Amino acid sequence: MKAKRGVGALFAIFAVAAIAVVLFAVIGFMWYVSGYNKAVRFDEAVTKAWADVDAQLQRRLDLIPNLVETVKGYATQEKELFENIAKSREKYFQAGNTAGKMEASNQLGGFLSRLLVLQERYPDLKSNQNFLALQDQLEGTENRISVARTRYNDAVRLLNTYARGLFGPFFCNKADVEKREPFEATEQAQTQVPAVDFSKPQPLPEPATP
Amino acid sequence: MPLRRHTRPMVVFLLLALTAPALAQVKLPEQPRHYVEDLANVINANHERTLNGVLQELEQKTGVQYIILTLETTGGVPIAAFSVELAHDKWGLGQKGKDNGMLFVLATKDRKYAFTPGRGLEGFLTDNYAGRVGREVLRPALKRNQYSEGIAQANLVVVQKIAGQTGVTLTGMPTLPRGSQPAQRSRRLPGCSSLVFLLMIVLFMGGMRGGRRRGMGGWLFWPMLFGGFGGRGGYGRSGSYGGGMFGGSSGGFGGSFGGFGGGGGGGFSGGGASGGW
Repeated sequence: MKAKRGVGALFAIFAVAAIAVVLFAVIGFMWYVSGYNKAVRFDEAVTKAWADVDAQLQRRLDLIPNLVETVKGYATQEKELFENIAKSREKYFQAGNTAGKMEASNQLGGFLSRLLVLQERYPDLKSNQNFLALQDQLEGTENRISVARTRYNDAVRLLNTYARGLFGPFFCNKADVEKREPFEATEQAQTQVPAVDFSKPQPLPEPATP
Repeated sequence: MPLRRHTRPMVVFLLLALTAPALAQVKLPEQPRHYVEDLANVINANHERTLNGVLQELEQKTGVQYIILTLETTGGVPIAAFSVELAHDKWGLGQKGKDNGMLFVLATKDRKYAFTPGRGLEGFLTDNYAGRVGREVLRPALKRNQYSEGIAQANLVVVQKIAGQTGVTLTGMPTLPRGSQPAQRSRRLPGCSSLVFLLMIVLFMGGMRGGRRRGMGGWLFWPMLFGGFGGRGGYGRSGSYGGGMFGGSSGGFGGSFGGFGGGGGGGFSGGGASGGW
């Protein structure tokens, strides 16, 4: 009798331990999967957000030749500006990575905002429907770029936060996910515009500084 | 745990974290109460009634949520950015998936306006179209100090364009809501998965009472708890926008219309046009 009870108790303990081990394994596995997938999800969100940014930047580049062509007819003295625009446009196309694209875009943004204020110096531009249409499109595109950039930066921030947090680095490592660089805006493009003096040659702006 | 390697300070990240949302400085309703939110008080009663009627009818017939907002200032934020953030993030105008919201903002003290269509309307409310309405209809009136007329005319032009494109005719008389039945929108329960986990943990811990592993078990579960909340998906642009449930139509007193049911969409990419006078 006694021995039988002992065996029963032993078996019960063993069974409970076995169940506990299995449960731990299952939960541990689920935890691993969720952490891993989170890293992947954050990474994908950043990639997608960058695709949006890239699409808008591309759209802006497509607008430029027409816009420059239109303005050229009026603003004959702004050769340098047109050249700079063409140069930074080329630079964008040649940029192999995201960082290069960001830099070229920031530079281009500065020149384009100067192109748009040319209408202050050449009032005839204001009555050119073609110019106004292109201007609307360019402004809309600039807005889209800044919106897409904000959302990209939000996605980057989420990823980078995760990649720094508890266990985040572990999962990022496993999923081969790396931290990403945010796309910093050069606010000068917006704030400096009215101050530009077109009678003097404009130096190339410095690459974006945070 | 390979934690050390990644704890290098990230100045850029911190800088980003410090940038406050653009809307924080301006007091705005959580959801628009009417289609015309005339916070700056520049639209006269007649125009307001007309616009509210037309815009309500527009939503009833096309689903397009078109809000007109006037306020004194955007608090130094460029009006285009302000408008997008408000329409996309805060109010979530338009229907989800259709991205058919539209926001018009006019800031009287800043002397700036912005037409901001959702992505679903950009096809025909192009940047150039919005720019022209602003330049040719709105701005001349604003320059004559006829804010009310300008806002009404310009927005009616845009509304007509939307109606024409979607093939509906607007009479200016919306169908009045029968009772006050707030538009119930399905909204995902954010904490659902974590609740299930919590339950599991509680049950499990209960079973382990007195066990030696209790402490460790609890510690192990922490990351899971946080993982559960991740389901909200606040990243990217498909976040869960509030609204809908609490918008409620302002039915209350019969006869009055223009009570806005609440937004639940978003999908603004930054298109449209802005300008000043």
